Amino acid sequence: MASVQRALLLIALALGVAHSASADETCQSPYLPKLVGQEDFIYVWTLGVEGLGDGSDKLVTVGANPARSDYGEVVHSLSVPGRNEAHHAGFTDDRRYLWAGGLDTSVIFVFDVASDPAKPKLVRTIKDFPAKTGWVGPHTFYPIPGRMLITGLSNASDKSGHTGYAEYNNDGTLVRTVPMPPGAEYGYDLRINAHLNRMLSSSFTGHANYMRKLPELMGDAEAMKKFGNTMVVWDFHARRPLQTLAVPGAPLEIRWALEPEHEYAFTSTALTSLLWGVFRKSDGSFEAVEIGTIGDPKTLPLPVDISLSRDDKTLFVDTFNDGTVRVFDVSNPRAAKQIYEHKIGSQVNMVSQSWDGKRLYFTSSLLANWDGTGHPDEQFLKAFTWDGAKLTPTFAIDFTAEKLGRPHHMHFGQLGFWGIPTGADDVAAK
Amino acid sequence: MKRATRLGRNAGAALLAYAFALGRAAAADDHAAHSLPPAPPPRFEAPAAGSYQLPAIDRVGQHQLLGTSGAAEPLIALKDGELALISFVYLQCGEACPLSTAMLHRLDGELAKDPALARRVELVTVSFDPQRDTPQQMRALREKLAPKGRWRFLTAANESALRPVLADFGQDAVWIPGEANAPDALRHVLKVFVVDANGAVRQIYSTGFLDTRLVLADLRTLLTPAT
Repeated sequence: MASVQRALLLIALALGVAHSASADETCQSPYLPKLVGQEDFIYVWTLGVEGLGDGSDKLVTVGANPARSDYGEVVHSLSVPGRNEAHHAGFTDDRRYLWAGGLDTSVIFVFDVASDPAKPKLVRTIKDFPAKTGWVGPHTFYPIPGRMLITGLSNASDKSGHTGYAEYNNDGTLVRTVPMPPGAEYGYDLRINAHLNRMLSSSFTGHANYMRKLPELMGDAEAMKKFGNTMVVWDFHARRPLQTLAVPGAPLEIRWALEPEHEYAFTSTALTSLLWGVFRKSDGSFEAVEIGTIGDPKTLPLPVDISLSRDDKTLFVDTFNDGTVRVFDVSNPRAAKQIYEHKIGSQVNMVSQSWDGKRLYFTSSLLANWDGTGHPDEQFLKAFTWDGAKLTPTFAIDFTAEKLGRPHHMHFGQLGFWGIPTGADDVAAK
Repeated sequence: MKRATRLGRNAGAALLAYAFALGRAAAADDHAAHSLPPAPPPRFEAPAAGSYQLPAIDRVGQHQLLGTSGAAEPLIALKDGELALISFVYLQCGEACPLSTAMLHRLDGELAKDPALARRVELVTVSFDPQRDTPQQMRALREKLAPKGRWRFLTAANESALRPVLADFGQDAVWIPGEANAPDALRHVLKVFVVDANGAVRQIYSTGFLDTRLVLADLRTLLTPAT
């Protein structure tokens, strides 16, 4: 209990607000102030679908506070030019701006989510990510003080998975690029443990693969060899790679444990359907260890997003192909034990949870050319409560019926964070 | 009127409370037994000075603020080859600001052990709250901290004079209305900036890296010519 209090204190210090219980929030950068309490909005970065609505990618704001009249409804939708393969997004370190990327065009859109939290505004478009960095496919947007780290999935020369990451300042100016090290050239996610001054990165595949139709890709044996099999441990402060870990099968999302004394992280491998733990050893180096199996790997469930509870005991694991979330008890981090599963829909990709772990949100889209492969192409955001034993549905939005598109990454917004009363339905009028 | 609530606590009481919080932050950082749960010690060694790069992150301009005498002073007062660590605080802050001030206080002590380095480094504490944190209050804070080296304490004539400084640094600051009779609180991300004489921002620290070993390694990295 004392360690939980300590973690809360550290978060409170980062917030500049004392003694507050804070609110996917559990899987954010340690440099990002966490939301306190109930989220009012979910910002959903959404891929456009040709012939559906305006066909463009868009940032959709959904009401998430049961105390407000817009609960469970689309509050606002802001379209950006074209279809860019909208994928992931991330707040700046002050939560004032949301950077969102397109994996195909490599265009980055920056939205102001502070001036009117219900109605984000597009304030900057970065079109020269490939020209400036050499990478393409901006994936993870990860805030550090005054800057944004952005991983590339691929490179501008041959569109393979050889890549690196870029560091921009909050005004959108490139500060530096860092290539992935020899022998571990593929990239995907990166996450920092400030307490250890260590960063972990993972590896996926290049533009030449992720933009192909899934059945065609899976039928191409040579192309299927071109996936990442490594994670890299970095000295974050020096931006120096220290160690390459063998993690076969495309390790994707990384989640560091939150308790300071828990010196480990989790990931899942997309192609082998395994859970992995990455543990700090007594000599300060790290080891990667298989800690569990996700579904039946022979059926290729395709693990995608994962979300860890704030007490490091419960890990939610989405598998795309069967539309199912599996919940693992990871209180023994070397032996993950499945305790629950629930079919969310025909397909599911992202999962986000509130800081208290009581509310979870799921979206359906993975990649435009992979969605609906071998199963119906449902597109939704679905909200649930979690009582520690089961999920109970609260609301759902059909993104096809609403002519919005394919919903992907979710981030939370809150009026109170900006000093605006929660009941303020029309923020602009205030 | 919320502004009146913000001004509810008198300045002397605020300074006392800040000094108390400063003591708590220092104690917590030193892992002493205290009412606040101690933060665990960092589990890493700072990289060797000069073994890594610190490219310019941003560039800030010159700004005129008020020193502890009440006279106008430039925010950046450096010669070529010198660095400033600039921290924004407000004296009614109960947690984050004392943490950054405690780090600067420890750094001031560490720099005193290396006079050649200390001569080239200035610490600058700037108030977020010009209405309450007057030059007199900042002077009192300076006296409380009794710096061994170069450490200036600045405030602004008013909020409109401060606003462009915060905007230039990208330092967010939002007043959150207090509930009932509680005073308003300033929500801000704790940041400490390393700036050179040309206004180039070479490092930005937040809570995760307010570690004097890292700061000293960075200062030595930046002040040692590349060979």
